[in-house]
Amino acid sequence: MVQSTSARKSLRTTLEVPTLRKSYYAQTLDDSKKGKKVAWCSNNIPSEILDAMDITSVFLENYATVIASKRLASGFCAAGETVGFSQDVCGYARMLMGYVLARDKVPEPPYGGLAEPDFLLVNSYSCDSRLGWFAAMSRTLNVPLHVHDAPYQPEGPSHSAADAEYIERELRSLVAFLEEQTGTKFEPDKLRARRAISRQTSDIMYEISQLRKAVPSPMGSADMFTAVWPSMYLAGTSECEEFYNRLLAELKERIDGQIGIVPEEKFRIMWSGIPFWYDMRLINYVEDFGGIVALESFYRTRERRLPPQDDDPIKDMALSSVRQRAFPSTIIASIDDILEAVKEYSIDGVILSYNPSCRMLYVSQTELQKALEDQGIPTLGLECDMADERTYSEGQVKTRLDAFVERLLAKA
Amino acid sequence: MITAGVDIGSSTSKAVILDDRQILSYSIISTSFESETSARKAVDQALSKVGQISQEDIRWIIATGYGRVIVTFANETVTELSCHARGANWLFPSVRTVLDMGGQDCKAIKCDDRGNLLNFVMNDKCAAGTGRFLEVMARVTELYLEDIGEFSLQADEVIKISSTCAVFGKSEVASLLRQGKKKTDILAGLHTAISNRVYTLLRRVGITPDFAITGGIAKNIGVVRRLEERSGLKVLLPDEPQIVGALGAALFAQDKLSNQ
Repeated sequence: MVQSTSARKSLRTTLEVPTLRKSYYAQTLDDSKKGKKVAWCSNNIPSEILDAMDITSVFLENYATVIASKRLASGFCAAGETVGFSQDVCGYARMLMGYVLARDKVPEPPYGGLAEPDFLLVNSYSCDSRLGWFAAMSRTLNVPLHVHDAPYQPEGPSHSAADAEYIERELRSLVAFLEEQTGTKFEPDKLRARRAISRQTSDIMYEISQLRKAVPSPMGSADMFTAVWPSMYLAGTSECEEFYNRLLAELKERIDGQIGIVPEEKFRIMWSGIPFWYDMRLINYVEDFGGIVALESFYRTRERRLPPQDDDPIKDMALSSVRQRAFPSTIIASIDDILEAVKEYSIDGVILSYNPSCRMLYVSQTELQKALEDQGIPTLGLECDMADERTYSEGQVKTRLDAFVERLLAKA
Repeated sequence: MITAGVDIGSSTSKAVILDDRQILSYSIISTSFESETSARKAVDQALSKVGQISQEDIRWIIATGYGRVIVTFANETVTELSCHARGANWLFPSVRTVLDMGGQDCKAIKCDDRGNLLNFVMNDKCAAGTGRFLEVMARVTELYLEDIGEFSLQADEVIKISSTCAVFGKSEVASLLRQGKKKTDILAGLHTAISNRVYTLLRRVGITPDFAITGGIAKNIGVVRRLEERSGLKVLLPDEPQIVGALGAALFAQDKLSNQ
């Protein structure tokens, strides 16, 4: 039996996610059997467009986290390594390359495996390893690949017209590729309807982000790392909007009742970077000491006011996304963003995950940690792969966490 | 009021018995596979040196070290990071930076004027700069562990050792020995390499004087001298550097009773 690695959740709405996720993967297999076109996607590929064109999207990074959370990653990574991928390569890429190229060597894949792809879609944004990874899959699976490029935004989310125009051109290019692959004409009305839902969902998520500033924390990262899932993979669906409406109502309920995650909240922590999916119980670890991981660096909705909905849904998507990019694009912008969040969310200390196989994040974490310490914010760096549990030593990590808690309590 | 601190390290287990703020006795024994047994033996041995008192007389016991959670007879646990800071600062009140070099890991620790933990950096998943590394090197050079530090200071030249990995370093040293290189020169290279590596931990945490080294490697004069050279600071060395963690734990136990 697989040992439970899940974080302990406190919100009833979050508990709906595993069922949503399971049925999503079952649906993708069913769609494939019925002859629907299947796209293997990287994160940040706009699923609303695919959904509007009746294409089934499968997000590989998400599937990688599912594998990791079931502590199967080492088997998948080892398979990737047998076909030549170094341990220094992104854990997600290594796992999925193992799945693609050495399927006989990987453990039984979760949810019955993935629907086979008709084409691949990769977003150049936030990570460069993905491009090589998807190009390698395209060659080995012999399926077409489309690269969806993103503009460099050194200042983070912006109002730049040039950036919006660039994104719009890229989205139209994506649509053209999908039309060519499916032989189906894109229908703007279908996307327009999904955009309307996405905009409403975005407003709800902004409100949730604001409510999470409350003391005691009504919702910690143990819940958010799971609760973010519908926004990433069911975007533009009423199922998604309804989920966040329920979550918002639950947060309001908790704030009204002054119900925190821990009985007496003594300190609040932010988790910066990707968590260790094979042991999400770590997120709860500080709760025994009266602490709460109250915020994570990735999943905060920053800007509420989107421009009015444009009648052209592609243009609308471009105008919105230029302001809503999840990650700022430079180390400086990222540091400023985190320092601001530390103040707004009354954060006492920051845990930074250092994942050697994710060079994009690794480098910025070093600078961020230094900036936080310079501001007098206690930090703790934990170095482990996000997916490959072979790099993880529970005893070492917990000693560091214990000492970090001692440091925070001595300061308090 | 009598308290005890017991530090279960990867190589050795240590116990310190305090009566108020006075050290009554201490012990250092090898850690066995059973942390609980090692802890009991360490405490028993320390008690036997005092006579007249038994474990029942100890009012509070704090366990520390990597095996701390397995010590069922302890009243509480505190991490070795806080304990080394507390212990070193108690021995040398001017200490603000502590380097604990133990059997399995190496920690650069910053503390305040009361010995409270302010910050720390530890080595990750690597034996470089630890007692284990030096044990391996003593074995490959066929010398006693206690002697290699002194030998390293008698070198004519410092042979550059490119790998601080215990595994690759071992084969590199074996290869140098086969080439007929002098052991003292090889040891100078090894000690320089690990001192440089450990120094990066100190740089990361920031060295504020005064600076003390604790743990078993503090007994290695080769490492101590090189760290003094690198830091430009005189290293404060406890008379018995291995017991500083257990001492800190016993002091926390005293604090606990005083606050009750």
